Amino acid sequence: MNQRIEKLLKRYVVDKEQMKYRKSTDDPYRIAKEFEKENLSHLERSVRRLEYMLEEEEAIIYPDERIGLLRTVATNYEILTEKEWEELKKDHYVHELGKVCNINPGYEKLINCGFDKKRKEIQKQKECYREDEKKLAELDAFLRVLDSLEAFAKKYEKEARDKGNEEIANLFKKIPAQKADTFQEALQFLRLIHYGLWCSYNYHNTLGRFDQYMYPYFKADMEAGRLDEDEALELVEEFFICCNKDSDLYPGMQQGDNGQSMVLGGLNKDGTDSYNRLSDLCLQASLELKLIDPKINVRVNKNTPVELYEKGTLLTKQGIGFPQYTNDDVVIQGLKRWGYDEEDAYNYVVAACWEVIIPGCGMDIPNINGLSFPEVLTEAMEDLKKSRSFEAFMKKIYEKLQFKVHSLCEEIKNIYMEPAPLMSLMMDNCIEEAKDISEGNKYNNFGFHGTGLSTAVDSLASIRKYIFQDKMFNAEELLSFLKEDFKGDESIQNMIRYESPKMGNDDDDVDELAIRLLDWFADVLEGRKNERGGIFRAGTGSAMYYVWQSKDMPATPDGRNKGEEFACNYSPSLFNRVQGPVSVIKSFSKPHLYRVANGGPLTLELHDTLFRNEDSIRKVALFIKSFIDMGGHQMQINAVNRSILLDAKKHPEKHRNLIVRVWGWSGYFVELDEVYQNQIIKRMEHTV
Amino acid sequence: MKGTIFDIKQLAVFDGPGIRTTVFLKGCPLRCMWCHNPEGLISRPQLMRSTNGCMQCGRCQELLKHPAKAVEHPELLRVCPKNLFHISGQQLTVEELVAQLRLDEEYLKLVGGGITFSGGEPLAQADFLEACLKELSDMNLCIETSGYAMREDFEKIVELLDFVVMDLKMIDDVKHRYYTGVSNKRILSNLEYLKASGKPFVIRVPLIPGVNDTVENMVATAKLLQGTTNLQRVELLPYHRTAGVKYKMLGNVYAPRFDENREVRIDTEVFEKRGVTCRSL
Repeated sequence: MNQRIEKLLKRYVVDKEQMKYRKSTDDPYRIAKEFEKENLSHLERSVRRLEYMLEEEEAIIYPDERIGLLRTVATNYEILTEKEWEELKKDHYVHELGKVCNINPGYEKLINCGFDKKRKEIQKQKECYREDEKKLAELDAFLRVLDSLEAFAKKYEKEARDKGNEEIANLFKKIPAQKADTFQEALQFLRLIHYGLWCSYNYHNTLGRFDQYMYPYFKADMEAGRLDEDEALELVEEFFICCNKDSDLYPGMQQGDNGQSMVLGGLNKDGTDSYNRLSDLCLQASLELKLIDPKINVRVNKNTPVELYEKGTLLTKQGIGFPQYTNDDVVIQGLKRWGYDEEDAYNYVVAACWEVIIPGCGMDIPNINGLSFPEVLTEAMEDLKKSRSFEAFMKKIYEKLQFKVHSLCEEIKNIYMEPAPLMSLMMDNCIEEAKDISEGNKYNNFGFHGTGLSTAVDSLASIRKYIFQDKMFNAEELLSFLKEDFKGDESIQNMIRYESPKMGNDDDDVDELAIRLLDWFADVLEGRKNERGGIFRAGTGSAMYYVWQSKDMPATPDGRNKGEEFACNYSPSLFNRVQGPVSVIKSFSKPHLYRVANGGPLTLELHDTLFRNEDSIRKVALFIKSFIDMGGHQMQINAVNRSILLDAKKHPEKHRNLIVRVWGWSGYFVELDEVYQNQIIKRMEHTV
Repeated sequence: MKGTIFDIKQLAVFDGPGIRTTVFLKGCPLRCMWCHNPEGLISRPQLMRSTNGCMQCGRCQELLKHPAKAVEHPELLRVCPKNLFHISGQQLTVEELVAQLRLDEEYLKLVGGGITFSGGEPLAQADFLEACLKELSDMNLCIETSGYAMREDFEKIVELLDFVVMDLKMIDDVKHRYYTGVSNKRILSNLEYLKASGKPFVIRVPLIPGVNDTVENMVATAKLLQGTTNLQRVELLPYHRTAGVKYKMLGNVYAPRFDENREVRIDTEVFEKRGVTCRSL
């Protein structure tokens, strides 16, 4: 990185100088109360919120910036009052905060077009829908959203001019009214609409295939000699820093969980790979900056050369917990099976964490809820007493699983989302049909996480061994151990906990149970339609459910105590001293992962000494490649050192920049809640 | 025939070509003061206790009084709720060990790796090792050795290998005896055999501050190795102050008679200028 970038990094990331422009936080329901009084439609409220936010935003320009925009308003305003939300929730299913989130807008639909042309398109549609008030209202909302963003850009143009930053002033003189022509214009345009989305309270706004939709601008500039690679890298780095300027204002479960993912490379339909020179620059920028945003994902397949994995491993070595790898061979097959058009399947990206979605036309909600495998098991435990054989018990498990999945599906009725006019402008056919994205799009599928798989599999393996094979104790005794949380029977607990067969040791008998559970999960969802005409997709992720769903869960037959958390995502149980990472990837590549391709990576922690030199980095790269080649679907890796994490807990002030992968995103270790810190330290015990 | 092993480690990336699985054979004739694998020293199984995460619940008091009993009755280790105890030293037949290693055969071939036998000193169980190597002859095989072995054992084992990683701790025999407990005569003689064998090998020098990182020792080492065509490189392993962590786990005290805090002198140049590739790990 050059000196200017170093300076920006220090200003925005180390010193956080931008905080001095932050306005004080306000009552997030303040404007909603006025809207309620005026009895405004939700669409009108959405538009007014954005207008209000952008009016309140103050333009802040530094003379040395080449990509501008900074947030100063510290409040995310709601458009409904608390009482209105309460009313609404009585007869609606509200996912998370009730906003359109976790989808990938087709940014290029605006960047490649410009607002002037977009307005004409909208005007034309207004002619078509002259009689339809609802549609006209939507189209008017689109126009107003464009107007307010453009007015906001003008405010920046003026401020830049006043501060003597002619470069940024000239950018805003042209965009967003006109389309972007250069790489820098395209980046500033992207920053503007991305900023607008956050101000619209849309969140987990993934950046998607940045290396694809930005490539034409990069290429044109390079070919015309307007740009060389150093300058292109500099611009990419500045854009990456932009993603970290205001991210503390973005809603998420934890600081860092803001969904700013970026996906690099990926198979084209003709079998070639789309990984390009810009993808390389993105990896390099991330390597040099060591920032938690954007979170880098790489799409790989069985033909991906080991050199790409080596580049990724160099990044992992920095200890930032990415890139995350997703296997095209598994995911594309899975998406096609689920009815996605071939073209769309090849164009997939990952959402905030690892959920697979389609840019520009997917209104999927891939994280709508999660199936807890251990809960299914716990509910079947009473039946163990009546089960004459292990297989008879497995039949009960299937029935409970079927029932549980059925109720998860049934819960989702009459879903509500706030209208999102700005987002709609970047999604297919919203203008043509004058329809808001919150009402759905080409794909309206719902995805479920699958939590605690290893806990359930290990529990079943232990039941099979101790009750049916060795007959060491019977069902009633086991139930009483569990009821008492193993109190007084610690020696039995420790035997089960540490000596019974477990998933992750390449033991076919155990791994077969995982194959069965995941197949069943996929089976019971197959063919089922949701209320929006979409389907349900099964996955292997956990998100924060590994903490939520385990908190009140009683002891389990794998020796887990009441309340002890499950492993994160698709990983061996926390107290399984696995034979080693090779056994782990072998076990975890056995299931039919294309059937549960909603997302959810095998999460591994490797000791940082494995990344010591070029030769060992190449071997680690080869190891990751081998998981993909064996049919693994997704992998994320932490390069860690347990003693450093322990020290960071004791002396957070000394480890402000320590980054870790949490469940599907990277965050600063010292900013995490203790429960997540502790689980990461426990995960370290698997390290080699 | 049974051998005693104390660990099998997957994804070994520093123990020979490719991704390897390393088997640690228990027992070693040397007593290097800086040894960081003290459980590899004696050949019989031992009780080990980690303190990471210990809640001081005291349930292990009885166990600690009679560690030898625990070796006979591993179920006694279940008293610890954190699973902090384990028996280091598992006795396996050739067939058992080979079967376990064969599980990953396909994988290891795919990634261009193989099996490495380390220790302890693998040559201390030369017959067991020989039998295992013969059974695994279609895989890529390597040992990590101190080189301290009877010449005939050394020869018959090297014969069966694809690659050798050998330590060369010190050239001065008086110092060698003082710091490792044995003379280096056999080691140097075996080194000559290895050099002449044509077998590709790597030499490792653990750099111990003030002990063998001296100009004199480095020059002597480099001179001994220069011009050896089958020597791939020399790897210097600078001493880490964490070397002593496992002694406590065995109930022993780590008390090296050299200054741990002294900075290690790392000199790759002395090798490079004699045409020997050298890197520091």
